[in-house]
Parts: sequence; C-alpha cells; structure tokens
Amino acid sequence: MGAIVAKLAWRNLLQQRLRFAISVCGVALAVLLILVMSGVFAGSEEHAVLYIRNQPVALWAMQNGVANLHMSSSRLPADTVEQIQAFPGVDQAVGVLYASAGVEISVTVIYSYVFGIDSDIPFGGPWSLVEGSDSPGLNEIVIDRNLTQRYGLRLGDSVSILGFPLRITGLSEGAFGIATNVVFVNKTAMALLMDVSPRAASYVLIQPEVGINIARLAADLNQAIPEANFLTEAEFVASDQEMIRQMGADILQLMNVIAYIIGVLVIGITVYTATLERVREFGVLKAIGASMAQLMSTVFVQSFVIAGVGFFTGVVLAYLVSALVVQISPEILILVEPYQWLSHVPILILVTAVASLLPLQRISNVDPLVVFEA
Amino acid sequence: MRTQISLELSGISKVYGSGNTEVRAVDNVDLQIKPGEIVLIMGPSGSGKTTLLSMAGLLLKPTSGVVSVNDVLTSALNQRQLAQLRLRSIGFVFQAYNLIASLSARENVELVMNMAGTNGAKAPQRSLELLSLLGLEQRADHLPADLSGGQKQRVAIARALANDPPLILADEPTGNLDSKTGREVMELLCCGLGRVQGRSIVIVTHDHRLREIADRVLWLEDGQLQAKAELTPA
Ligand SMILES: Nc1ncnc2c1ncn2[C@@H]1O[C@H](COP(=O)(O)OP(=O)(O)O)[C@@H](O)[C@H]1O
Ligand SMILES: [Mg+2]
Repeated sequence: MGAIVAKLAWRNLLQQRLRFAISVCGVALAVLLILVMSGVFAGSEEHAVLYIRNQPVALWAMQNGVANLHMSSSRLPADTVEQIQAFPGVDQAVGVLYASAGVEISVTVIYSYVFGIDSDIPFGGPWSLVEGSDSPGLNEIVIDRNLTQRYGLRLGDSVSILGFPLRITGLSEGAFGIATNVVFVNKTAMALLMDVSPRAASYVLIQPEVGINIARLAADLNQAIPEANFLTEAEFVASDQEMIRQMGADILQLMNVIAYIIGVLVIGITVYTATLERVREFGVLKAIGASMAQLMSTVFVQSFVIAGVGFFTGVVLAYLVSALVVQISPEILILVEPYQWLSHVPILILVTAVASLLPLQRISNVDPLVVFEA
Repeated sequence: MRTQISLELSGISKVYGSGNTEVRAVDNVDLQIKPGEIVLIMGPSGSGKTTLLSMAGLLLKPTSGVVSVNDVLTSALNQRQLAQLRLRSIGFVFQAYNLIASLSARENVELVMNMAGTNGAKAPQRSLELLSLLGLEQRADHLPADLSGGQKQRVAIARALANDPPLILADEPTGNLDSKTGREVMELLCCGLGRVQGRSIVIVTHDHRLREIADRVLWLEDGQLQAKAELTPA
C-alpha cells in the first residue's frame, strides 16, 4: 500500500472531526468498561486473600475437604490442633477460629470475616495495627480504621456481632475491601458463640522450622493427619482466588461481550458512514484501476485507527479511574495491569475486522461506471 | 520505448434492460484503435458514446461481441487483471473530473502512481513535474475544491498520464469547460504533453474544431457507427 492510500484513509476519517472524536470516545468507553469491570474483580480477588497473604506463614491447615476461606466452614478439633503443633518440623502453629458474620454498627450491618484469636500469638492477628491493642479481650474487637472513619467511630465505642456488644480496642489498617472486611475478636468469646472448644480451630497457621522443605512437610502432614488438609500459602491463595473468579466470571464475560458489541457498532457505523460519504470516490478509484486490496486497506486503516486510538484512550482512562477511585473509596480496588489489557488486543483486532465488513461490502458493490455520471 | 497497445472491439453490443424497456445502447460496433492514433467519437446525446467508451475502457462487459487488447481476449481476464490493465495501460479523463476531494492536486496524481507500485521519492517528483508541465506548479498543493474547472481537468490529465499509459480515453473532457479553456485542455491532451510517440487517444466530444487534430472521426447514431462519417478530416 502506498503512502497516499493511507493518507486518503486518514483524511476520510478526519473529514468530520467530531464524528471521529465521538467514535474514539465510544471505543474508549467500551474499553474502559471492560477494564474497570475486570479490574474490580481482580481487585476483589486481591482483597479477598488479604488475611492469607499478610500472615507470615508458609503453611495452612484446615478441615479435610476444605480448601478455601471464602464460603467455607472449617473445624479442627483441639487434639488435631495439638497434633499439628507437636509435629516434627513444625516450629510454631497457631489456631484461629473463623466465621463470616455481620458487624452491626448502629443500624448498618457490614459483612465481615471474623477471626477469633488468642492473646500473645506470634501471628494470626492484625498485621498492621495503627492504634490500641492487637489482642482483643473477651468483649473487645479490632476493626479497620477505614470502617471507624466511615461511621464516625473511635476507640472505646461499641459495635456488635450477632447482638453481642463489643468494644473497639484496636484499629487495624489494610483489612477493608469492597466485599472484604477483616475483624478480630477474642478466641474464647468466639468459641462460645460458635459452640466449640476454645482450643479448637478453624484454620491453623503453621511456621515450619528453618530449613525445612515446605512441600515435603505439607505432604508428611497430609499423610500423618488425614482429618486435616494442609495447603501452602500459594495453594491457599490460588484456591480462594479461583473461587472468587468463578463467582464473577459469568457477569464479567457478559459485560465483556456487551462492550465488544458496542465496539463493533461504534467502529462499524463510523467507518460505514465515512465510506458512504465517499462512495463515488471509491468508484473512481475502482475505475482507474485500484485493486480490491487497496480499496480494502483504506477501510482497514480507518477502522484500526479508531480502534487503536480508542483503545489507548480507554487504557489511559482505566488507569486514571483506578487511581481516582482508590483516593475516594479505598475499599474499592480496581486492578489495571498490562497483562490484563494486553489480553484484549487480539479480541479488539477481531472486533475491528468484523466492524470493517459492512463498509467493505459497500465498497465492493460500488459501480465504477459512476465516473461517467455528471 | 513504451509498450504500445492495440485495442480491438469486434461486433460489440450493449443492451440495457429487457422486454419493453430494452435499450440497445451500442449495436454491433467494430472498432480498432491502432497505436499512436487519435480517434474522435462524435454523435448526438444518447447515441451510445459513453457506453462504447466504457467497454473500450474495460469498465463494462459487452452483451455480445469481444474486446481484445494486444490480441488477448479481455473476457478471459478476471477483475484483478482488468484493474491492473486499466491502471497501467489506460489513462482516463472524464467530464466530471472525478478528482479525490480530500487529496491535493499533487496527491491525486501520486495516488495512481502509488497504486501502480511507484513509491518513495519518485512519485512526488514525477507528479510535480507533470503538474508543472501543465502549468500547475503553483497549484500543486491545493485541494480540488480550490481549483477552477480548467485547472481540475488539467490535474485529471496529469493523473491520466501519471503511469505513462499507451492509451488515453476521454469522455467529453471539455463538456464542463468554457470553449477557450476547453480548447487549452484539448491542446494539452492531444498536441502537448499527452501526445507522445505510440500513444493512442480516443476522445468523445461534441467539439467539431477537434476534427483538425484527429486521425479519424467516428460518428455514432443509435448505437451504430455511421460508415459515411468515418472520414479523415480535411
Ligand atoms: N445504466 C443504464 N441503464 C439503462 N440504460 C442506459 C444505461 N446507461 C445508458 N443507457 C442508455 O443507453 C443509451 C446510450 O447512453 P450513453 O452511452 O450514455 O450515450 P451518450 O454518451 O452518447 O450520451 C441511452 O439511451 C441511455 O439512456
Ligand atoms: Mg455520454
């Protein structure tokens, strides 16, 4: 293709700047929609495993048959917890109780991950304390600072869980997401609420001795204690994220399909109308001997310019939106990452090609004999 | 020396429509254009001149009869081959100019060179050269909308000559121009720049003054060539 053929396509496109701008915006918004939606889900996946990621342990134990924190209920009896603690190669093991429950702040109920923790544990509790104590007493609670700020609470104020009033004695940070709010209460109090032994656990956080092969230890534990399931941190995180992903996959796919259709329409209609305006000129080019490939390339240049500029704008907007949203609402994490938007490039190419079909069809139908009309 | 072209139309007819609305626009015409010839086609409006020229220009398939170029039957060629033949061997000049509105004069000329595979510095250079020879060096960067009719037609002539074709086909090239401007354009096409060794020129026109410069004048009436009019002008 010659330089002039490309120039011609470019001029046709820019003939009506407003139309060009609108169609670029249309594509950009579709791209933004895709990236923000998938960014919200990716962010939720990240938030959902905050607790697991922030504990400095390599190995996790849970009830056999359980592989998640989310939507799961895991019970390990007291003697199993003790068995794990005594296992050769295990340096320290801490059992925590866990349940999801609503934290009631006056009339508002915040869906939360409630962890029951003993005092003076080396890990398993709040990983970033900003104020107060990280060891809640019997009717005390450690909650995220974002939550207290939002609802005008301070240390010493009360919230409740299942109607039991709890005094806020510690403020943590980084434990609050759009669908994830991690709070800590006393393990004995939690055991009472859950009607289990205070020495039982939902999960056991395991720190192996220095120099121990973790995969090996996990395999040995799995064999020796069949009533528990042992997962490395990576396995536990992956399994929880997979669950979240599946929960969001359908809606995400639907949104993507809608956005792609918008893209096809925006690009298609724009290039089609630009083609219609110049239809006689396409007839002239045909008459003087342009090949179909040369005519088609003018359509493709137009489609791909809109798609490319729109896509780039959309990606930039997505980064801006994600940065802005974190400023305004820290609980919403919109993860925008190159691997994510790059993964849409092949689909965008397909979308652009599909959008070019109608204008191509129009061009192939142009009668070159228009050249003889006055 | 440039490749020459010998164009032969044998017994060609073009019928539009059918039944009651049937129009025999061209009726069993035999016509041979030899290399280097200037042929005028004249005749009343609606006599089939444009239809004949379209078939000679490989833009329209005859209903019957054959068109051959250098003894090759064009009916045996596909769309792509026909387009290539038009691009490289035929320069078209139309009454309506048909310049590309979004391209400058120079780009209009370059475009057909690009299409024929002439790229790089050569195309802009040659297009400027052609436009200068046609007295348009000051207008090279203007869009067609900023040119007068005569200037537009001169750009169209430059475009027709861009790939140095052995055959020029022009359909009433001066039809939209006043007679003085028309005269100048015709002179450039037939006597000046366009007139080179071995190039054939076929012009559909109403302008009788052109009989002087033509090698042959054909008279078309109701789609048929009138033998009596096929005279070498005095
Ligand atoms: N596409 C067409 N469909 C139907 N009739 C046509 C078409 N093109 C031309 N004609 C008819 O064919 C005849 C010859 O037309 P044309 O070749 O344009 O004549 P000229 O160029 O000598 O004025 C006219 O009667 C015209 O109405
Ligand atoms: Mg005509």
